[in-house]
Order: sequence, then C-alpha cells, then structure tokens
Amino acid sequence: MVTGGPQNGAGNTGNDSNAPVPVLAAGIRQFTFHDAHAPALREVAVSFPPGSFTAILGASGSGKSTVGRLLAGWLPPGAHGALSGFLELSGTRLEFDGGPGDPRINPAEWGRHVGFVPQDPATVLSTVRATVAEELAFGLENAGMERAAMVAAVEHTAALLGLRSKLDQDPAHLSGGQLRRLAIGCAMIVGPPVLVMDEPFASLDAAGAAELAALVRDLQDRGTAVVILSQTIDPLLREAGTWVVLSEGTVTASGAPAGLESSPGALPASIRHPVPMHAAARALPQAAGTEPGRPALQLRNVSFGYPEAPARGRRKRKSAQAGEPKHPALVLRDIELAVNPGEIVAVTGRNGAGKSTLLRHFNGLLRPTSGSVAVGGTDIAGAPVGRTAASVGLLFQQPRDQLFERTVLREVSFGLDRLVGPATARNRAAAALRAVGLADAAHDHPAELPASAQRLLALATVLARKPAVLALDEPTVALDGDGLDLLDAAVRSAAAEGAAVVLVTHDLGYARSAAHRSVALDGGRLVPA
Amino acid sequence: MVAACLGLSLAGGTARRVMPAAAAVLVPLGLSLLVLHGLFFPEGRTVLAEWGPSRVTAEGLEFAGQRILQLAAVVMALLLFSFSVDVPDLVAALSARGVQGRFAFVLASTLTLLPAIAARAQRIRQAQESRGLVVTRSLVSRAGAFRLQAVPLVLSLIEDAGTRAAALEARGLSSTGPLTSYREVPDSSLQRTARAVLVLLAVAAVVLRLVQAGSGG
Repeated sequence: MVTGGPQNGAGNTGNDSNAPVPVLAAGIRQFTFHDAHAPALREVAVSFPPGSFTAILGASGSGKSTVGRLLAGWLPPGAHGALSGFLELSGTRLEFDGGPGDPRINPAEWGRHVGFVPQDPATVLSTVRATVAEELAFGLENAGMERAAMVAAVEHTAALLGLRSKLDQDPAHLSGGQLRRLAIGCAMIVGPPVLVMDEPFASLDAAGAAELAALVRDLQDRGTAVVILSQTIDPLLREAGTWVVLSEGTVTASGAPAGLESSPGALPASIRHPVPMHAAARALPQAAGTEPGRPALQLRNVSFGYPEAPARGRRKRKSAQAGEPKHPALVLRDIELAVNPGEIVAVTGRNGAGKSTLLRHFNGLLRPTSGSVAVGGTDIAGAPVGRTAASVGLLFQQPRDQLFERTVLREVSFGLDRLVGPATARNRAAAALRAVGLADAAHDHPAELPASAQRLLALATVLARKPAVLALDEPTVALDGDGLDLLDAAVRSAAAEGAAVVLVTHDLGYARSAAHRSVALDGGRLVPA
Repeated sequence: MVAACLGLSLAGGTARRVMPAAAAVLVPLGLSLLVLHGLFFPEGRTVLAEWGPSRVTAEGLEFAGQRILQLAAVVMALLLFSFSVDVPDLVAALSARGVQGRFAFVLASTLTLLPAIAARAQRIRQAQESRGLVVTRSLVSRAGAFRLQAVPLVLSLIEDAGTRAAALEARGLSSTGPLTSYREVPDSSLQRTARAVLVLLAVAAVVLRLVQAGSGG
C-alpha cells in the first residue's frame, strides 16, 4: 500500500501488548485542508481490531466524513490536505508530518483492505456498467476474479442486501434507498478486512436497516472490522463495542456505548436519537383550514408509469420474444389525495415504493399517465413547471440535485426577485436563511457545506418562496439533531401560515410525530397508515 | 455500401434514429458539394447550362455525385456503429481481449458522456423549474434556460469527477493485473465468419483499387 517515501519503524506504541493487533489504526495529531485556515481534525486516535464494531458519532460538520475518508484512503494526505500523525494498516505504519517527504498512499491497494461507503451513494457508481449486477462485479473484475466465483459473489451480496430482484436494472434508475444498498454491496463484495460506512442508515427503510444490521453481524463473525460513522443513534449502534464521539474535529469521549449513554453530557445534544416507531403523535395544533373548503392540493385518480427506456439491440428483442406487456408497469395507481391549507400529511412507504415519483407530480415535473392534479383548485396540466412552482415548493431527496448556485445567498435568491420583486426578495432570502440557521454562511459555496447544512439550505430555498403547497422528499435524511429541530419548526410555522405540507419519508416514527395524518404508498396505491 | 448500411440499420431497429442524424449531416454537405462542383467544375467539358461565369457540366455533377456517395458511406457506417453498439458489451469484449481497464473505461465513458451530461442538465433544469424558471417551447426561452444551466452544469460535472475518481481508484480501476468480465458477450460462429469475410472483402477492395490504379497509370 506504499509506493516510496520513508517508513518509520512499525512500532505499536499506544497499544497494550496483550490487546489484539488492530487491522487499521490512525493517530491524527492534526489534519488541515489546503485551502483552510484552521485544522479540520485535531487529536483523533482510533484503532480497529479484526472483528470489532465501532461507531464514530458526531453531529453534521463534526469531521466524521473527513475521518472516514482519511481512513479509507479516499482523501490521500498530501493531495488535498496536510496530515501530521500516522495511519496504520495491517501492521504497517505510515508516518506523516505534512511535508514533501511524506509517504504516498496507493488508493487501489488501500481500497483492497478498507472498503468505504460514502455519504452520497451515487458517487460510487462507475457510470459505465449497465446493470446492478455488473456494478457489483466491477471491483471483482478489476481484481481478476474467475467469472463463476464472481457470479456467486454477486448473487450472495445481492441476497444479503435485498437487491436480488434489481440485479438486471440500470443503476441510474434505483431509488435513494436502493442506491444506498448497492453502494454498501460494492464496498463489501471484495471482502475487505475493514469496512467504513458513512451514514449508512440515511434513506434506508426499516427492512433495509434490518438487513444492514444482519450484514454487520455477519461481517463481524467473519472477522471484518466494521466502522460506522453516524449522527443518529440507530438501535444497531448499541451493539457496537466502542463509541467514539467527535465534536468540532476532535474526540470528546470514547468507550462502551452503555457507559456513554448513561453519563450525562458525554454525547452532544445534536446527535439524533431515532423516534421510536410507536411514538405517540405529538400534540400538533389542529390544521387551520380543515373546515370543508377548497383543498390546496388535490390528486384525482392519478396513475403513472415511467415510459420504457429504449432498450437496445439484443435485450430488446429478447424481451419482445418473452412476450412482456407493452405497457410499462404502473408506479402509481388511482391515487386520490386531497390536502387542505394548514394540514401536514405524511406519505410513508418502502424504498422504491414510488414516493419521490408521487411528489414530482405536484408541480408537473412528471405528468400523470391518467388522472389530474389540481393546485389551489386549478388543474396544472399544460402549465409550465416554472409557473406551478409559484404555488408548489419541492424539496428534492438529494440536496445536491437542488443546489446549483455559487453562494448560499444566490442559491436562496434564485428566481425570487421574479416572484416578489427585488426588495422583498432580499428580505425573504435573509429570513429564510435565518430560519434554518445559515445566516452566517450566506457567502459560502453550497457544495462546501456539511450534508446537514446543504439539506437545510435546500429547505430555505423552498421556504423563501412561501408556497401554498410544500412538498418535502425525505426531509430528515442527513439532518443532525439541531437540523431536525429547525426543520420541525419551519414545517410547523409554514403550516400555521396556511401552507399545505406533504412530506414523504420511510421513517414511520417521524411521520407519526410530525404530521396530522399519515398515508402509506403500497404497490402504487395510497392506503391509510 | 449505403444500401447495406440502410438494410442493417433497418434490421437492427435503429433506422429511425440513424436516418435523421444521417440526413442532418449529409443534406447540407451534399447541397454544398452539388453547388461547388456542379457549377464550378474546371475540367467540365459537357456543358448543360450556363449563367455567366458558372456552368453546369455533366462531369461536375458526376464528380459531386461520387463525393456525396463516398461521404454517405462513411457517415452511415459511423452512425450505424454509434447507434447500434452496446457500450457495456463493447467494454466487456475489449477487456476480454486484454485491453487495459483504464483504456476501456475511457472509451466507454466517452460513449456514455453525452447521455450522462444530458441527464445532469435535466436534473439542474428540474431544480430550476421547481423554483420558478419558466421554460416554454420557444427557442428564445430554451436558449435562456440553457445559459442559466451551463455554469452549474460544468461545476457539478467537475466536482462529481473528483469524488468519482477516488471511488474508481479504490475499486481498482487502474489495476494492472489480469481483468475478468462479469458480462458474457455472445459471439456466434456466424458472427465470427461474418467478421472474417468482411475483413477479407475490405482488403480485397483495397487491393483491387491499387491494381486498377497500377494498371491505369
């Protein structure tokens, strides 16, 4: 894993002589990005013995992802920042002092030992593989594995992750939760001795979380060291051997989960505890406009199927021979939904149930195959999306899909002056940024914000327009505890001002606590939850 | 040659996409060739019509016709290839023949680049439309929308490339050892025979031209 550079003696300072030899360890005195003034990490020491399970907990922006990428070799010291400290893999210790004489990490060789699942699962896709199966096999192909063994490994991994029925699909068409499973599969299929996962629970439904838990136990049994970076204390993390708590780039506490959870103040308040599934609905103020009137949003008999992708050559003919129906499978069937002003409705459903597809009908990004969508009593068929957007604000599942401007302020102001005039636009933009706690970051680049802040910024862009209908796609994903509180407050105040809110989420507990009523999307139909 | 391409594309079911593309390339080129050679061919002897300095000659028209046919053959063959090639199959076939993973990836991503950029541009447009950008069918409106999308598109592609590079490296893209392929590319004996015959025909055609030229000169 080393190509050139001086190597200091592979001592095992800091380890008890009778403790198991860690397969991966890091002692980071300081890590500073090249374009930053202050170090991103200070005094972070971690070590992972084979078969161990460690959770690194911290709020958004605490430096979790930086630690993860350093450990995984995705952020080679020297290229993007200066590291002083050491990284140790399988007994070989690399010492760094931030100077030109530092050893260099070979990412491919490192990647064979440490698998990494990044926070944004879409970035692991090779983009040149046509099916989920081939995407899973990509790493095996590069390692030169025999085809028969490869097919078996793909089958096995897909079964573990609940992706079996998706093996022949184009990875570009997976839902958010399915993409997360694929990214985990791609990292673990080559059998690395260490697996690092950054926020793996984000956008996974209950079944996905259960599968992930089983997977982690299985990996541990086989001697893999599992490291999970998270801002939520998912139940699985209570099984971890060690918790390491990160705050503002440094380790503030570490030890056994039970001890840390019972000692007050050991965990920062901004670390999220999941809302239990059976949580009683919190007392929400009754929706303002529930008296019979005109609903802000009404879907009548909406059905939708994605047009079939133009399959090419061989496969197309094969499927035609197999006598597949010409009509695409319907994702939504006969959806009836009416949301009154001031009402908060949660739509729940499994990964891939069609939740995002449903939301995209509200402003016309997708048009129903049959049925109609009315906003404020007016059918939106034929109206350009941009015009409907004046009354419908849509928060996308991936904030990255929504953010495209150079600064946070420009991002919030986009299109606002055309809507309300420049003076009001300035006030609204500032107010929206204050509401999500980003007033100080107005001139930062959106891509450089931590994931939680990106999410909140995307929310601010929607809130600033004060839409009559607020459609939120998995709003809790990637939010830390503070972010969740801001989201909650923003959604409530929007509803109190008379906005109709529809939020889709796989998180049943959150749906129950945040909404006036919940409906579930199952098999393309809406059923009472 | 042109007829063969047409036949193949009809058989492959890509004619509906090949034809407009071919027309878009060939019609303007063909017209300009006709005007240039038809009207101003210096060696033309058989004058069909004359306007001042320009004369329509039979030789000129014949020459233009030949050039158009040659161009059409090349364009059709290339378009037929790019519209009917299955990129994953091509990459799999290349790596099965020992082409380095990195090279095969570059080739494949060149071929998938346009669809990928189009998909990214569409996502950005959807985000902008969801925030009140009105895009109508008029050309002016579309051009205006494109101007708003261009900068975010380029920035996001660059940013994306950085992360993806780390992922690809970690997954062993630049590994120099032997590669294997998950995808099996069916290669029937008919296909193998057809390839051999086509290569022989191409060589024969070149030899024939050389012999002709040799005996002619």
